[in-house]
Amino acid sequence: MLSRDEISRIIIKILVDDFEFKDPKLDDNLRDAHGFDSIDAIELLAKIEKMLGFSLTRAEKEAAMDIRTINDILNYLDTIQRRREI
Amino acid sequence: MTRRVVITAAQAITPIGYGQDAIRRSLMAGQSGVKPLRDDGLLTQHISCQVFGSVDYAIDYQFTRSDKKTMGPVAYYACQVAKDVLADSGLGQEFITSGRLGVAFGSTHGSPTVQRDIYRTFFQDLDKGFKGIGAVDYLRSMVHTTAVNITRMFGITGRVVASSTACTTSAQAIGFGYEAVKYGMQDAMLCGGSDEYDTTTVAVFDNLLACSAAYNHAPSRTPRPFDRARDGLVVGEGGGAVILEEYEAAKRRGAPILAEIVGFACNNNGGDLILPNQDGIAQTLKLALADARLRPEQVDFVSAHATATKMGDIIESQAINAVYGEKPLVTALKSYTGHCMGACGVIETIMTLSMMEAGFIVPTLNLEEVDPRCAALRYAREIIDIKIDVAAIQNFAFGGVNTCLLLRRSESL
Repeated sequence: MLSRDEISRIIIKILVDDFEFKDPKLDDNLRDAHGFDSIDAIELLAKIEKMLGFSLTRAEKEAAMDIRTINDILNYLDTIQRRREI
Repeated sequence: MTRRVVITAAQAITPIGYGQDAIRRSLMAGQSGVKPLRDDGLLTQHISCQVFGSVDYAIDYQFTRSDKKTMGPVAYYACQVAKDVLADSGLGQEFITSGRLGVAFGSTHGSPTVQRDIYRTFFQDLDKGFKGIGAVDYLRSMVHTTAVNITRMFGITGRVVASSTACTTSAQAIGFGYEAVKYGMQDAMLCGGSDEYDTTTVAVFDNLLACSAAYNHAPSRTPRPFDRARDGLVVGEGGGAVILEEYEAAKRRGAPILAEIVGFACNNNGGDLILPNQDGIAQTLKLALADARLRPEQVDFVSAHATATKMGDIIESQAINAVYGEKPLVTALKSYTGHCMGACGVIETIMTLSMMEAGFIVPTLNLEEVDPRCAALRYAREIIDIKIDVAAIQNFAFGGVNTCLLLRRSESL
């Protein structure tokens, strides 16, 4: 299981490199501050699956659509990883 | 009641340059844009034709990430020329988003580069399944990707026509745009077409023995339309756009008027999907003349489709002769760029506009010895200084589609 810090580093690197975020903060609203939309969310989920090494279920992906901040992403991944460990 | 339609902006990205000035300089210098075929790691080594009409210079695209994510290479060309013509036309943002401006823009088949990425999924390990297909791959590859990326980038809310008829794609776009303005359905139309670098198109024509292969050692010596030593077409890439506006409104706002579109026709041969058809072509030319209410002898210049295939050039020359006789000067502009497929109609229109404005006609490049079977025409054999009042741009496509656009010089309006 990846730690929250490791995931945070990877996610921020993806957001900066692939989604051209400038100086992202953990509580920025992704849409308002960085123009991140639902299509971007789908693209990011594909990258997250690669990072985790397993596929997300349809329900897990739908749950991701409520994400608004990077902290939300980290909480989401925390929950996903813990659920898989059980 | 019909309305007059004028062209108020025109820009193109072509193998002989980006922008009207660069294109005109290359035309006057007799510069060819045909270069060695670039290696795509896929088909290049299996194709006999090793030349391509290449856009081999850098373009400073300044699109945002949000814009770029739904764009394949074909839409980069499309959006760049669209951006240029919207700026050049001087149309205000309020009009652009009003619903009174529409878009007629197409490509041969969307983005083959992105389609190839999608097809790669079929050859991945099964456990990876369809996950190789990105969320936006359809938007980047689909047939109408050029037209709708333009509407998205500039907030255009009018009608969308995304013609996709191979070599007549952008000629149809201009023609259908002209009709939309002429009959009052839109007040202005942004029209054109683009096609990206793609070796599958070369492979298709190569398999049909329609591509040039005898000049791989000297790319600029091919294609050779109407020449005795021609051996086929050369595929090219690029994009072009024009803004069409209703004449009175354009005049009122002081828009730059480059030419009037006075006629358009489009028909089908109603039979074979590949072979050129003299009757079908001649009928298109006559229909365009009827639409423009012009007599054949009023046409000063013909931009021939002339791809340099063995049969196509002969049939076209006979059709031109049958309709116009030997009066108009004829040039095959693909001799400079190669065959830019879905973009050829708009690129040749823009080259013709450039010659109408400056008052000259360039010769067909590589036309050294006219094929006797194409001899019944009056070819420009060197740069000729001449006032072109009326020009015809003709294009024909696989599928038996024929188009003809008739332009009138702006000074005579």
